[in-house]
Amino acid sequence: MSDTVILLQLTIDGLTRGAMYGLMATGLALIFGIVRVINMGHGELFMLGAYAMYFVTAVLGIPPLAGILISAGLLFLVGMALERGLIAPLRSRLGENWLVDGYVLTIGLMIILQNLALMVFGPREFGVASFWPGRVELGDLVISNERIVILGAALALATALGVFLNYTLLGRAIRATAEHPRAAQTLGINIANMYTLTFGIGAALAGAVGAILLSIYPAYPTVGGDILLKAFVVVIIGGLGNVWGAMLAGPLLGLIESYSTAFVSGGWQNTTISLLVILVLFLRPQGLFSRQVARP
Amino acid sequence: MFGATAAAMVVIPLITGGRYVPTVMASIVLFFILGALFDFMLGYLKIVNFGIAGFLCAGAYGSALSVLYLGVSPWLGLAIGGIASLVLGVVTGALTLRLRGIYVGLTTLFVMESLRYTILSGREFTRGASGLIVDPFTPLLGLTFSRRDPITYYYLLLALAGAVYVCLHVIVRSRIGLIFKAIRDDELGAGVLGIEVVRYKLLNFSIATFFVGVFGAFYAHYIGILVPTTQEFGVLRTVEILVIAYIGGRGTLWGSFLGAILLVGLQEVFRDFAEWRLIIYGAALVAIIMLFPRGLAGGVLQIMERIRSLRPLPNVPRQHNRNATE
Repeated sequence: MSDTVILLQLTIDGLTRGAMYGLMATGLALIFGIVRVINMGHGELFMLGAYAMYFVTAVLGIPPLAGILISAGLLFLVGMALERGLIAPLRSRLGENWLVDGYVLTIGLMIILQNLALMVFGPREFGVASFWPGRVELGDLVISNERIVILGAALALATALGVFLNYTLLGRAIRATAEHPRAAQTLGINIANMYTLTFGIGAALAGAVGAILLSIYPAYPTVGGDILLKAFVVVIIGGLGNVWGAMLAGPLLGLIESYSTAFVSGGWQNTTISLLVILVLFLRPQGLFSRQVARP
Repeated sequence: MFGATAAAMVVIPLITGGRYVPTVMASIVLFFILGALFDFMLGYLKIVNFGIAGFLCAGAYGSALSVLYLGVSPWLGLAIGGIASLVLGVVTGALTLRLRGIYVGLTTLFVMESLRYTILSGREFTRGASGLIVDPFTPLLGLTFSRRDPITYYYLLLALAGAVYVCLHVIVRSRIGLIFKAIRDDELGAGVLGIEVVRYKLLNFSIATFFVGVFGAFYAHYIGILVPTTQEFGVLRTVEILVIAYIGGRGTLWGSFLGAILLVGLQEVFRDFAEWRLIIYGAALVAIIMLFPRGLAGGVLQIMERIRSLRPLPNVPRQHNRNATE
């Protein structure tokens, strides 16, 4: 294989992986940007999506594309219930100064969900070999169908979210709430509903990604930890609460990861990425893709 | 109260003897002081050190590696561990404490993970995931520190923790502590009054990380083997410490003692049901935040207030000025 083919292969690999990181991080950024909570339980929402996908497709025999929609729908409901039941009461009690408590609350959620999954499903991995077997060959370049579907699904979801946020009344209401909650309320937007809806959308994205990636990350109780850390990396690189930044930074992280496997040996990859994040936090805490000039 | 508790902590292992009680009490003391150090940052300056386990790790490996490669005494290792963690803390703090709180939390999280991954990867030097064997403390003042008899370790830990606790207590009761609280309650206002907010935050962070490192070093020589897992030096250890501080009650320091007794106690009771233990941790955390934000310490203070109010008071007529407050 020539060097260009290897480079292309690594690029495609990095882009598919990164597209998924991007979607996870988009949910996280959306929730942080609008609900103002750092959702430490986001990885567990991914885990629930993966379990849902397994049971819907492998046990009930429903086709995978429908499975993705069902997982996303279920997690949408779970997310809205969590916001209404726990986060909304906390916000209304503490007012402005609730950021830290919200963060710790989601840590509690993370622990509960992780260990409930351990009790209900056990430590065993639930996975499927491949939803879409087969591959496409272009000369020396080999791309599995699975990757094409993943990349396509990521693009479709990102586009759908973009259209929703930019061109629908509801999406604009959500953005108005992010911009200035009180002004939005004055204009007749029910901001409590916007918070609930946003949390639901963020959770649905995590569930969809968990479902789509089931063949790569099988469902097991602690699968969310690794993914959450990746999503955090993306959110920090893209800028906290910056949805578009997260969408761009996801593929960037995927590419960095995939190129670095070619240059750095195994375990050091994680160190490199963590150090990169620390560097971004020090030099450009507002994120790489933010127009904000002042340091936050 | 403080005297009675301290006396009980000294006397109980002497009465019971054996290995079990000193070991359990050692975990209580260790978690208590780590919880108090976490609270020293969180409850007094709202600094969320989400990477506290990383500073513990820096102290533990700092001491263990210097004993192994430089041949220093484990006693000096306590100071080396503290300094290793302090250096990490000063660098992290100097670069992030002027940003909004959430950035400190995220940066410390990634500092912790970088350190853990580095130790995992630097296998030739740190033994990575297979674990680093650490020597016990050498005899001092005629006392031997054998792992077969944990009681001397327990008293060493109790003395260290007692000294650090008194030190933290003095700081929060001093002028500096007052400034901490002023910054916590109104950062902008404190800044306008001419208080150098970032400098005080850095002072607080440095003190806390130094002591966390010292206890990390103690932990290394006490436990005998270091493994860079998330249970030991990662997110899970941080969560344990955070849960103790929250359940104990933020902004009190001593609340962590109640938190540590409760959680280590639960751990012993639920020894055979590990997953239940963690679910209870999580549920307790959610319940504290949603329903009892002042934690166990808040409950104790409320009871003490109630007892005080049972004493006959001068008969002051109750004022009903509901209209004025509305």
